[in-house]
Amino acid sequence: MHAKVITVTSGKGGVGKTTVTANLAAALAMLGKRVAAIDSDIGLRNLDVVMGLENRIVYDLVDVVEGRCRLSQAMIRDKRFAELYLIPAAQTRDKMAVSPSDMVLVCDQLRPDMDYVVIDSPAGIERGFRNAIAPADQVIVVTNPEVSAVRDADRIIGLIEAEEKGPGQLIINRIKPSMVARGDMLSIADVLDILAIDLLGVVPEDEAILISSNRGLPVAMSATNSASASQAFRNIAQRLEGNDVPILDLAPQSGILSRLRNWVRGE
Amino acid sequence: MTGSKSTEIRVKGIREGILLGLNNHSAPFAELLQRLQEELAEKRTFLKGSRIVLDVGDHLLQRTQLAQIQTLLSENEMELWTVLAEPAATREAARALGLATRLAGSNTDLDGNDLAIGSAAQAGLEAEASSGANALLVLETIRSGRSVQHEGHVTILGDVNPGAQIIARGHVVVWGRLRGMVHAGASGDASAVICALQLTPTQLRIANHIAIPPEEQQPALFPEMASVRDGQIVAEPWRVRE
Ligand SMILES: Nc1ncnc2c1ncn2[C@@H]1O[C@H](COP(=O)(O)OP(=O)(O)OP(=O)(O)O)[C@@H](O)[C@H]1O
Ligand SMILES: [Mg+2]
Repeated sequence: MHAKVITVTSGKGGVGKTTVTANLAAALAMLGKRVAAIDSDIGLRNLDVVMGLENRIVYDLVDVVEGRCRLSQAMIRDKRFAELYLIPAAQTRDKMAVSPSDMVLVCDQLRPDMDYVVIDSPAGIERGFRNAIAPADQVIVVTNPEVSAVRDADRIIGLIEAEEKGPGQLIINRIKPSMVARGDMLSIADVLDILAIDLLGVVPEDEAILISSNRGLPVAMSATNSASASQAFRNIAQRLEGNDVPILDLAPQSGILSRLRNWVRGE
Repeated sequence: MTGSKSTEIRVKGIREGILLGLNNHSAPFAELLQRLQEELAEKRTFLKGSRIVLDVGDHLLQRTQLAQIQTLLSENEMELWTVLAEPAATREAARALGLATRLAGSNTDLDGNDLAIGSAAQAGLEAEASSGANALLVLETIRSGRSVQHEGHVTILGDVNPGAQIIARGHVVVWGRLRGMVHAGASGDASAVICALQLTPTQLRIANHIAIPPEEQQPALFPEMASVRDGQIVAEPWRVRE
């Protein structure tokens, strides 16, 4: 068995990498997949909080890399899904404690026993980013429909291409359909026009995210209505599994939507 | 009329429209024009509304003279489209007027017969050997954060995204959407130009001139060229340089 390693990255900070990582890991686990989520944001860990596993941390990624524990000892099993694990980041160290080749080694150890390894990256383009994408088979770029976030996503896509990890696939997070309709927010088409990569999914702005992050319960795990972030994450998990699920119908103009479907199909 | 004997004008239907061929080498321009006018008056009903391919053979014609022919044709409701000429200077003058200087397809008429314009068309095909020796061709989109710098001309086959920059000593051609920053003629050459299929840059620089495009710029639906005119960077529909 060979897991697929997916790295979630963004360039700009705060656009939703950790939220996407936690929810994709959860949604894939809900599909019965064996999933390990790795927090590579060393020194600023918070994937454990969002997944509600903070109080169970004993060992972390740096402990594994520096040989203080076996990999399995740093894998925290999720409360709700027996086949969902978290490997937390160290809170007290910095990015230099882990190297890109350490990350490749850790993932290679995980591959035989997992279906997916999902890696949360730190913001920025420095060492932490290189660590996170080194083991990746697939890269997901998260952006918000906002000029500065798109600019940084473009930069990151260039770097991913330079590392020969392909252009990556895009998740546009925090879309507010009403603002797009008024022309106050970049539309999906505007973002794709600049970035010109495959669209993996669109996640709406949803209050439930904030509430669920505080509770440590990823929204993907809770009940859902059709236009919710929860549904969006479940759909993305389906697409990762190779199923053809249409992009959430968030945009009012049908012209844009039919184009989106084409993009997804073109993958 | 004696004129019609010494200044023969051929008229032939070809795929691209109507071919008008001027044959006489030594006739002065005024006589050519006069002859053409007579010919058009005679065949006007037949030729009206056509696209014209004008084969001037080895006549050395200036831009103003070609413009006169163009006017004459449009007065007769014909559109001058292409000028086939042997002298490079004539072709250059034609291009300056935005005219094509070679045929896109084969050199045959509607019946598939070879036309006697081979030499002129062939001459038009030869690329003008410009200072392209020191040109850089980049076959990808330049994304945010990247900088391409080159001592000569730069051609990008792809987009130049916002946050990316191109700096060239010579001209810059973007076969794609230019939305970042381009500096052409970077070591002071104000005759450098910047061309793009879609010219919506964050900023343009030519030599020591800087242009910031208007806030709400609607992308033009045609390629554009930016150059320095009267100390200012201006953009206009892209045509081959004079
Ligand atoms: N779709 C959404 N709707 C509403 N709030 C959201 C959404 N996505 C993310 N948020 C909120 O945005 C904030 C930042 O999200 P998150 O921590 O996932 O970003 P990040 O990219 O991991 O940030 P960093 O770069 O600091 O690691 C959080 O408070 C989160 O709850
Ligand atoms: Mg984060």
